[in-house]
Amino acid sequence: MIPSLLNWLDHRTGYKNLMHEALFERIPGGARWRYVWGSALVFTFSLQMITGIFLLTAYSGSTTTAWESVYYIQEVMTLGWLVRGIHHFAAQAMTVLLAFHLIQVIVDGAYKAPREVNFWLGLVLMQIVLGLGLTGYLLPWDQKGYYATQVSTKIMSATPVLGPALQVLAQGGAEYGHATISRFLAMHVVILPAALVGFLALHIYVFRRHGIHVKDPAHAADTTFWPDQVLKDGVAALGVLAVVVGFAIFKGAELNPPADPAEAFEAARPEWYFLFLFRFLKFEAVEHLGLAFGAIHFPGILMTILAAMPILARWKWGHKFNLTYMWLVGGGAALLTIMAIVEDGKNDDHQMALREAERDSHRVRELAKSPTMIPVEGAVSLLRNDPFTQGPRLFAKHCASCHRIDGHNGRGRLIKVVVDKKEAIAHPEATDLANFGTRDWMKSIVLDYSNHFQPLRNAQWYKNDAKAKADGTGGEFIDLDESQMADAVAEYSKVLTKADNAEDLSAVIEFLVAQRGIAADKVDAKLVARGKEILDGGKLKDGSELTKCSDCHTKLGNEFKLEDSGDDVPDLAGYGSSAWLKAFLKNPGSEQFYGKKNRMPAYGDKLTEKELDLLVRWMTSDYYETHVHNYDSRVNELPKATTQAK
Amino acid sequence: MTDHAQLPPESGGPCSDCHCEPPRRSFLTKFLAGALGALAGLIPVGIGGAFFLDPLIRKRSGGGGGSTGGVQKDEKGFIKMAIAADALPNDGMPQKFTVFDDIINAWNKSPNQPVGSVWLRKINNQIIAFNVTCPHLGCAVEHRSAQGDFYCPCHTSAFDLDGKKLNAIPPRDMDSLELDVRGNEIWIKYQNFQGATGEKVPV
Repeated sequence: MIPSLLNWLDHRTGYKNLMHEALFERIPGGARWRYVWGSALVFTFSLQMITGIFLLTAYSGSTTTAWESVYYIQEVMTLGWLVRGIHHFAAQAMTVLLAFHLIQVIVDGAYKAPREVNFWLGLVLMQIVLGLGLTGYLLPWDQKGYYATQVSTKIMSATPVLGPALQVLAQGGAEYGHATISRFLAMHVVILPAALVGFLALHIYVFRRHGIHVKDPAHAADTTFWPDQVLKDGVAALGVLAVVVGFAIFKGAELNPPADPAEAFEAARPEWYFLFLFRFLKFEAVEHLGLAFGAIHFPGILMTILAAMPILARWKWGHKFNLTYMWLVGGGAALLTIMAIVEDGKNDDHQMALREAERDSHRVRELAKSPTMIPVEGAVSLLRNDPFTQGPRLFAKHCASCHRIDGHNGRGRLIKVVVDKKEAIAHPEATDLANFGTRDWMKSIVLDYSNHFQPLRNAQWYKNDAKAKADGTGGEFIDLDESQMADAVAEYSKVLTKADNAEDLSAVIEFLVAQRGIAADKVDAKLVARGKEILDGGKLKDGSELTKCSDCHTKLGNEFKLEDSGDDVPDLAGYGSSAWLKAFLKNPGSEQFYGKKNRMPAYGDKLTEKELDLLVRWMTSDYYETHVHNYDSRVNELPKATTQAK
Repeated sequence: MTDHAQLPPESGGPCSDCHCEPPRRSFLTKFLAGALGALAGLIPVGIGGAFFLDPLIRKRSGGGGGSTGGVQKDEKGFIKMAIAADALPNDGMPQKFTVFDDIINAWNKSPNQPVGSVWLRKINNQIIAFNVTCPHLGCAVEHRSAQGDFYCPCHTSAFDLDGKKLNAIPPRDMDSLELDVRGNEIWIKYQNFQGATGEKVPV
């Protein structure tokens, strides 16, 4: 029944002959592992087609949905992380396999006559695969893809004559936008794959026309493609799949924060297989010759020589030349790649930019998974309105020239200065605010005031003021050595550290920390009441009495009213709360705070209300709960003499 | 196929060697080649297939309870209406109101969006609610005060004011909705139901 049916089909289609052609290609010298590269490439391309079509069923291409749909694929949909992971790493596997295939073809001399045309077809395929990688890089619309692709389109614009027009055409407009995604998507999922299928068909047809190129036909008994070589190819395919799936499981496709044209991405790098070009363009000599030379003409010359290999091979030493050329260019590219990686590894700014990208990337996913989900204006607004994300940026921009957070500028970077033409780590000139308003902060002020504000001594104004005070020509400033506060703290640190008074010390701290009214502090109401009693002049456990804070800080524990002010010492009512901080930042020199002693600039007109709100909410931990790993402390890297005790 | 037989004999070896080769080895090679090839193809298709079936596999997550959006919604899905119970006329005259809910669309959540409309009637301080969607093919049912009925302009379905169907066009009565009066507040469990079927099945 079945055989007669197949015969009927064969009579109409001639499929048996076709199958025979396809499967029983003769392989002189036997099946070999070195022939698997081409088949492995075909398999990897199929893998990309399969996963790519499935991804396309979930991808949504616009500037407000591209990142969001990729996030949804990656984090929410069934096995989405695996499908995307395979697609992501198989793309990289393809470039590796391409390199192996090319090396094998050149080393074995398979590019020589009469196979020139097929070699050229292979080079076209290589360009298409690189084009697929380039267009696919942008589609998640994350910071990395966005800024890396900006570089590609800028390079495109450096093409002589047609450049600017090409760039606008590729982008679908003068700037990146919805149209850019649509155009890249059309290239990535229709035009380039269709071209690849077409050229691949030609490549295989021409390959079959000349048969496999065999260097030593005596290697083993002749065989056929099926089943001996298919078995080896199958093992190779599974090997590729295993590696790709392994990467997808153990590394996972990265998803950087959503693209934000207003937020520079300092960690921008091309995909690793373009790193050599990236590094090459960074050479000063190359930069000097212009972008068109480095990114278009020079690579163009290299490719032309590659394409000329079959013709060069006619010359007596041609093959040797080709081999040398291949290893030189390959080695050079490898060297440049290693250089780029090593240099980035040593570059603190780049490492911190990566760290920030990772922090933002985790944070935006955390926010997207929160009950409020992603608003229709896109995930980028989640980060723009998030105190945990924006606080450190505002701090770095406005506060970090004097203050630090855990020794860094809020974004994990050290502040540097150039002294005697040498880069050095700058001395902080105001307190480290990492633990602002916490129990540690309060304890440090009450027991170790001078040391707590130690970094002020680095400031030029402090030196000037101290000198003026000594000369008797001035002297109203925050004096860490000779002031009522210094005297009071000298007393507190003596009395409150007595073993008998341990509980009273906690009470004082508890009262002070309660001022900021943050629920997460979980203050002990009894201790707070006891603390207030002590600071108002109550007796300690050991019978002694403290200088009352309320002698100077007149608004102790009571709500501040402007008409009460006039003491030029910081108001303690609501100390560290969001209202207190906002008022302080707007005008630290008001009588409510440091008055005439103040040296900090007022930020009332430097920050918008929204920025002020984001900064203050960050400093008071008032944001959607986070599990994102924060920047590591860099206190230990600061110049030693000025590190403050915690 | 006798592919091996087509080949020239192994160089140097006697021809009989070819025939002596146990056919099982060749079968094993073919089997392995076929199996590995199939496996390499089936694994990605299987993974992708599971991904494609996601809407059937995955329970909807995120959102739900109305604690985060702009809408007041309880755990059972009842939504507070903007209209107060005592603001409805007591004579049973149907009144149409828009229902607002938080819309979850894959990764997006839009708080407080109009999601549909209901007819409300108060008779002797009892309030009843109907989804305005016609159970026939989903047009919006209108109230005709002259005829004193509900009427669908698309395919002339007609219902009395208690939602009973008056002709054979609709497959069932109008879809009444669960309603809870809490003090002076009206809370409605807003649902849509499958059209063109005799049974009232929530979608």
